[in-house]
Amino acid sequence: MTNAPALKLVDLHKSFGVTPIIRGVELAVRQGERHAIIGPNGAGKSTLFHLISGRFPLSSGHIWLKGEEITGLAPFEINRRGLSRSFQVTNIFPRLSVFENVRCGVLWSLGYRYSFWQGIERLRDARERAEEILEQINLTARRDIPAGLLSYAEQRSLEIGITIAGGADVIMLDEPTAGMSHSETDYAVDLIRKVSEGKTLIIVEHDMGVVFDLADRISVLVYGQVIATDTPERIRSNAAVQEAYLGTAEHADE
Amino acid sequence: MSVMTRALPWLGGIAMILILPHVFSSGAAISIMSLIGFAIIFALSYNILLGQTGILSFGHAVYYGLGGFITAHALNIIAANKLPIPLPLVPLVGGIAGLLFAAPLGWVSTKRAGTAFSMISLGIGELVAACSLILRGFFGGEGGISTSRTSTLQLFGLTYGPQIQVYYLIGVWCLICSGLMYAFTRTPLGQICNAVRDNPERAEFVGYSTHMVRFLAFCIAGFFAGIAGGLAAIHYEIVTSGVVGAGPSGFVLLMTFIGGTGFFIGPILGAILLTAMQSLSDITGAWLLYLGMLFVLMVMYAPGGLAGLLLMHRQVATRQGLTRLVPAYGFAAVPGLSLFAGIIFFIETSHHVLVKSAEGMQMRLLGFSYEADSPTAWGLIAALIVVSYLAFRRTWPIVATAWTEATVGERSVPDDSKPKPPAKANVDGSASNSRSTITAAVR
Repeated sequence: MTNAPALKLVDLHKSFGVTPIIRGVELAVRQGERHAIIGPNGAGKSTLFHLISGRFPLSSGHIWLKGEEITGLAPFEINRRGLSRSFQVTNIFPRLSVFENVRCGVLWSLGYRYSFWQGIERLRDARERAEEILEQINLTARRDIPAGLLSYAEQRSLEIGITIAGGADVIMLDEPTAGMSHSETDYAVDLIRKVSEGKTLIIVEHDMGVVFDLADRISVLVYGQVIATDTPERIRSNAAVQEAYLGTAEHADE
Repeated sequence: MSVMTRALPWLGGIAMILILPHVFSSGAAISIMSLIGFAIIFALSYNILLGQTGILSFGHAVYYGLGGFITAHALNIIAANKLPIPLPLVPLVGGIAGLLFAAPLGWVSTKRAGTAFSMISLGIGELVAACSLILRGFFGGEGGISTSRTSTLQLFGLTYGPQIQVYYLIGVWCLICSGLMYAFTRTPLGQICNAVRDNPERAEFVGYSTHMVRFLAFCIAGFFAGIAGGLAAIHYEIVTSGVVGAGPSGFVLLMTFIGGTGFFIGPILGAILLTAMQSLSDITGAWLLYLGMLFVLMVMYAPGGLAGLLLMHRQVATRQGLTRLVPAYGFAAVPGLSLFAGIIFFIETSHHVLVKSAEGMQMRLLGFSYEADSPTAWGLIAALIVVSYLAFRRTWPIVATAWTEATVGERSVPDDSKPKPPAKANVDGSASNSRSTITAAVR
């Protein structure tokens, strides 16, 4: 069990109608590593995330999470098995307060499930865990504000906070720094490094600075297939990757 | 919040229930207040779906009505077999019936949210309404199911014959149910309902099955609707097939929406107002038109409902805010009220001409006697409406300016959750320079 990869994808296929988007992806993410998935626009990175997290059904293939097959499970079932994800477009609970957003993220993992016989304000462990996470994502001062009124960068931080709140050990972040300024990006990278400590991180990112800074290994996805998985240095010098992706990356970066 | 401030609204509610029958002691008033009692439970249960979980049901009266029918049958069975069950516990039968019907029907309909859910709820509502005319044994056909509340086991000498005793019974149930439904909003499931309302996709990715959350909310709403239906059966001592139909399902939606879905107190206000408005039917045959107009106005201008309007005013209820607002409101009230009067004259005179012309054209309204078909009367009504409308429009900017000044004065305590006042005050601007831009925007 401990030797099983955190995430293993075998011959993953996904078509929308007659259009194949994911065409036989093979990938094994080791436990505890920070793994980046890069690729040109339209390569299928976000679709791959949706497949892994159960948002889209697979056309064919198999997915294993920590040695357990999760193919075909619903998002909430996958989440309960320890995989949590963020979204490319900010995905929070806009009318709930910042604190309540995070607390919603911790409730299931603390075993409160669908309880309607306990007062939520009396759940000390839920409150403490949520406050701890607010502290980590630096939003303690904003805890009682409706999340929809936060600034964009704050919402992105909150999104990461909700994602890690349930204590999942496999964290997937979909372009966490998209649309951020340089200083905001630096802050976000520090935050990601901090919260993914001791966990498996899978990240889709366009900013090559972030990718090479953060990742232990990188997989390159081109037209629905992984053409290389390796360390950042070796990916940089990989001829096929340079041709398919990095050659255009300087222009496509933004 | 201290325990005291939290308990205050509930103590106020208890006091109201105790005092009101002494203030309005006529039989008709006590009957209306009884209606309000179970309407509050019904509307609050509906808001578990609409306001809390964000699903719009067009068939909530199914559980209210079936709760009523089962309660009526239960009362008859209890009376026939002399079962030792006192009347105060019987509404629970209605609640359990509501729950038992909500469970299977809810499991199917909550598989989908949004429009699909609404359509399924409409379909189920129509299905049950059709059944109510076909299954005569259970629903009693045209005549409905009659029952008697006085033939159960009597405790403490209470016969529940006099309306006032039923009123207190309904009042106690209303308090218990409101308290429970309020407590429900502050539980893990209650909070996750809000999360599902805000963003169902995200809720799935923090480990919650949105289907299960909606299903449980639906069951709880069905339970309380059933209790309300049970109390209605006890109050009327008859349940007819109409209660499961589209009419009551639409009415509970109106009560909840007009009261305000975003606040716990909203449906309570809506239930009080609309039930009271129902008694307008004795005064005017066109009361549904007034109700419809109120609904349209609320949807367009106050989507937060009555509760939203009230809360908006609580934010500025300081002396500084009120000194600006009260004169402005007073100023706008003159043409506003005359516009309202003009509309009443128009509707009532039209109603007289169209519906009651057989009784002759002579009519009396608000102290005026006139011929409903006289051109002079129509000319005056038209003039009243046009002139007051034009005057009302001119007073509106005054109110808007007063609003912004009152809210700018409140800037020291920012609370972004408040509904936006008519003048669209900015949310994030600093106090000093926002004032001039706002007033400029208003003019």
